[in-house]
Amino acid sequence: MNKIANFFKHPKIFVITIIWMMVLVVLGTIEQKHFGLFAVQERYFSSWVIWFSLFPMPGGRLTLIIMLINLSFFFFNKSIWKLKKLGIVVLHFGGILLLVGGGLTAMFSSEGNMVIEEGDKSNHIEDYHYMELAIINTSAVDFDEFTIFDQPLLIKNNILTHENLNFEIEILNYLENCELDKRTSSPAIQYKGMLKNFMLKELKPEKEDNWNRPGIIYKISNSGTSTDGMYGIFLGQPVVQTISVNDNNYTIVLRRKRTYLPFSIGLIDFKKILHPGTDIPKSYSSDIILTENRAVRKILIQMNKPLRHKGYTFFQSSFIEGPDGETTVLAVVKNYGRLFPYISSIIMCVGLLFHMFQKLPGLFRKSREKIAV
Amino acid sequence: MAIKVFFSILLLIIVQSCGQENHVRTYRLPKPEKSSQKQKVETPTSGFSWEKPENWIPSAGSNMRLASFDVPFSDAKGDLSLIKLSGTGGDLESNINRWRGQLGLASQSLSEMKKNITTKEGKLGKYQLIKLFNNQSNSAFLCAIMPVGSQTLFVKLSGGLTGIQESETDFISFCSSIDFLE
Repeated sequence: MNKIANFFKHPKIFVITIIWMMVLVVLGTIEQKHFGLFAVQERYFSSWVIWFSLFPMPGGRLTLIIMLINLSFFFFNKSIWKLKKLGIVVLHFGGILLLVGGGLTAMFSSEGNMVIEEGDKSNHIEDYHYMELAIINTSAVDFDEFTIFDQPLLIKNNILTHENLNFEIEILNYLENCELDKRTSSPAIQYKGMLKNFMLKELKPEKEDNWNRPGIIYKISNSGTSTDGMYGIFLGQPVVQTISVNDNNYTIVLRRKRTYLPFSIGLIDFKKILHPGTDIPKSYSSDIILTENRAVRKILIQMNKPLRHKGYTFFQSSFIEGPDGETTVLAVVKNYGRLFPYISSIIMCVGLLFHMFQKLPGLFRKSREKIAV
Repeated sequence: MAIKVFFSILLLIIVQSCGQENHVRTYRLPKPEKSSQKQKVETPTSGFSWEKPENWIPSAGSNMRLASFDVPFSDAKGDLSLIKLSGTGGDLESNINRWRGQLGLASQSLSEMKKNITTKEGKLGKYQLIKLFNNQSNSAFLCAIMPVGSQTLFVKLSGGLTGIQESETDFISFCSSIDFLE
């Protein structure tokens, strides 16, 4: 254990990890032009290991964990617990806090957007990157029952089952990007639903992943009814797939991953202010109503003046202009670690100031001695 | 000892962050409000206005039609027509048997037809809703007959069995929204 401790607390570890992070930043910046921001972030910064051909190298997550261990081991040195080392201790503590905040953000934060037309309201956020397959039992009179399978489960040959469902879904193919093509002849296989007249044609994925239109070809089986068969579904399908199994009616939808909020936001009016004499937008704002437990509050969300409520922050991101009115697009973030960068930066500044004021008298003394000599 | 505790906590955090999330979730939500389905108000030159669902696509139709739409179903598309005839446009029994003939179904008497006829209320007053299904040929009609003063409006949606069942609510909303153009 002492050997491990001695290895991890060596200052060289910090230098190596810092240099390696710089290399990752440069590589990520260059590759982002070709593969898009999200793909590069996942490969270089959110990963534990990066494979360069056959060679594994530490990913951003592993590198920062090693850096955190190295900084933490600093505190196991008995020699640092002295008043004259106070500045260094505080500085290290600030650095650790910054990394801990980053860890909280990586593990627990979520972001997405909320798109609301004028006069309409919404109570959910849609993820920018991840999809979900929603099986909605609409049989009950006053509620819909949702069974959601997240994107990691939507892989070829995976079988989806749940006690809520009296059938199985086998994923035959997950297409990262696809388009709908009309069939010119009758298919050889007895398809059901949309696939009877259309097929999903796989396309090359776009650079930015949120430009893709994912699709799934799947098989329903073990329902014990004529519902069994092969179906297709894609993101944004205008007519949803409905099936009926043993007096239960289901709707099957492939959609962006949703997080439902304990409140709703309705858009009363979206305003766009242009720079005088131009068509260039100067600022946007959304007049909204926040409804929570029947309490209603009117709020204005502007650029640089977001709404913060129940841990969520709603930013005015953009808008869509349509013939029937305007639609606001709010960027929504939930980040438990959002205050850590501010707190840690202040602590590190305090640490540096402490260290500077501790060292200054000594520096002045040496300078006077040199002059005297 | 402190080092061991530190490593244990760190290992726990790493394992937690690597661990498989629960990728299957279930929840219940109240039914969505009907009004959340956007309806477009149309005011064509026919003298009538109506509200149709956004996913109905206007189609060419024929000169006889006041309006014509392609109605997307989950497995195909249907054809909706709205026509206006002078007077009653024929009695109920003959109109329904004409449609039955178009579906390849045998004629019926009015008393036999009654189980497929319901009365609905719209902006133009009461109208008859008729459902006709041919299970063998997988074809069906949803029809509405609306007396409007000295004229009669006929609305007909044709398609497959599944599509007609999927579109019944939208069809009724459309028919009920037809009104005089002010």
